Amino acid sequence: MQMTAEEKEISMDTPAKTATRDIYIPSERKSVSGGGKPHVVAKDFSIFYGDFEAVKKVNADILSKYVTAIIGPSGCGKSTFLRAINRMNDLIPSCHTTGTLRFDGEDIYGKLTDEVLLRKKIGMVFQKPNPFPKSIFDNIAYGPRLHGMNDKKQLAEVVEKSLRKAALWDEVSDRLERNALGLSGGQQQRLCVARTLAVEPEILLLDEPTSALDPKATAKIEDLIQELRGSYTIMIVTHNMQQASRVSDYTMFFYEGTLVEHAGTSQLFTNPRDRMTEDYITGRFS
Amino acid sequence: MSDRPVHEHIRDLSDVLVHLSEKVLKNFDDALTAIRNQDEEQAREIRRIDFEIDLAEVGLEERCLAFLALQQPVARDLRMIVTIMKINDDLERIGDLAVHIIERMPNIKPDMLAMFDFDSMGRLAADMTRKSIEAFINKDRFLADKVCALDEEIDSIHSAVFKKVATLMKDPALNVDQLISLLSISRYIERMADHATRIAHEVTYLVTGEIVRHSDISYEKLIQSLKD
Repeated sequence: MQMTAEEKEISMDTPAKTATRDIYIPSERKSVSGGGKPHVVAKDFSIFYGDFEAVKKVNADILSKYVTAIIGPSGCGKSTFLRAINRMNDLIPSCHTTGTLRFDGEDIYGKLTDEVLLRKKIGMVFQKPNPFPKSIFDNIAYGPRLHGMNDKKQLAEVVEKSLRKAALWDEVSDRLERNALGLSGGQQQRLCVARTLAVEPEILLLDEPTSALDPKATAKIEDLIQELRGSYTIMIVTHNMQQASRVSDYTMFFYEGTLVEHAGTSQLFTNPRDRMTEDYITGRFS
Repeated sequence: MSDRPVHEHIRDLSDVLVHLSEKVLKNFDDALTAIRNQDEEQAREIRRIDFEIDLAEVGLEERCLAFLALQQPVARDLRMIVTIMKINDDLERIGDLAVHIIERMPNIKPDMLAMFDFDSMGRLAADMTRKSIEAFINKDRFLADKVCALDEEIDSIHSAVFKKVATLMKDPALNVDQLISLLSISRYIERMADHATRIAHEVTYLVTGEIVRHSDISYEKLIQSLKD
């Protein structure tokens, strides 16, 4: 049924209508200009560890420049799915995949895919901050140098820009030559984000980025995610459901390797369609 | 699926709400009895009970707010707490309507009151409220829909009272203040039914997650009522 322009406008603003739409941009968050295109597309995508199917035939579109949270109990396959997006699972010998996973239309597991280039475009930040035992400057400059940037002025610009984007510049601008391991846990994690941003990725994969941080440092990372939203496609695995609801536009719920529900975060946390999702997020899961 | 202490807490809040609804319904019924019997003592008791209802409403709201802050519920738990808070507000307003009715008592003489069947109207509005609470307890969307359908009946009774009062006002022998007070009583009962309908809408939200308060049907009804 065709809707008139007026009806379309009303349907965007009326909660009763939006609640029944397949995918919708949560009204409390601003829509992102130029965003919303399928950036990562999974089609019948499965991941195996040997014979064990850890992720089962996932079909999903991850939309560009929005934040997608992945939630689910331990062992549900959420981190495995996240790591598959920049082929971090390649490091596990028994791991193989079936189906397709595409990034900007290109097959991530295609024979011609350059993994180094892929990981430049799809950066990752892990649970525990893992700065190199080098200076703050060298940590950020590491990636650009690896990709051939040697001009000192240019590197200094990249370091400043990346640290500013990661909301760390004001705290470390006068001590760039100091060892990064001297920073607090929260600062180290933002340094890792800055290090990822230095090679100008399109996607940021965050694997439980705040689970080792205190509430104050967690808040800074969450604020940072909001700052970066709109410039990067962000995917975050988290066990903290309040965090998922606070920072994300879309949420994927995994259970035993199956993608049970993928919806607007606002919808999923107020009126999930699947009983299993509802039982999990309300703590009724046995 | 297993229930945890947090879900028992929600059930407890729900029980408090149901208990409050019983108190509110009794006070409203007593208000209609008091005005029929011109019973000043019962009127004072209704005011006292309404004060208790006000305190209970604030108490329940505080508990719900604390629950939201401390437990951060989502999905059906969130909808349940939001629904309890909204019904709590509706019940408190129905409580106020009982007081408004007895406030009209000094202006109304029994012979004039006897010209109107407020008891039947009040029973219907109370029945709607009772059913809406029953729908809440049983999460019964269909019963909630039935309550909404009954609202038209109350509206037409109120409309008939309005026409009757308008006709009587043309009689110079009758006291206009008294007629306005009688019309107000009809209006208070009609408002009680409106609150019952709101509660039914809130139950629909609880069950389906869909806000139907300003749905197309309600809008069409509003437009029709404005035309009338």
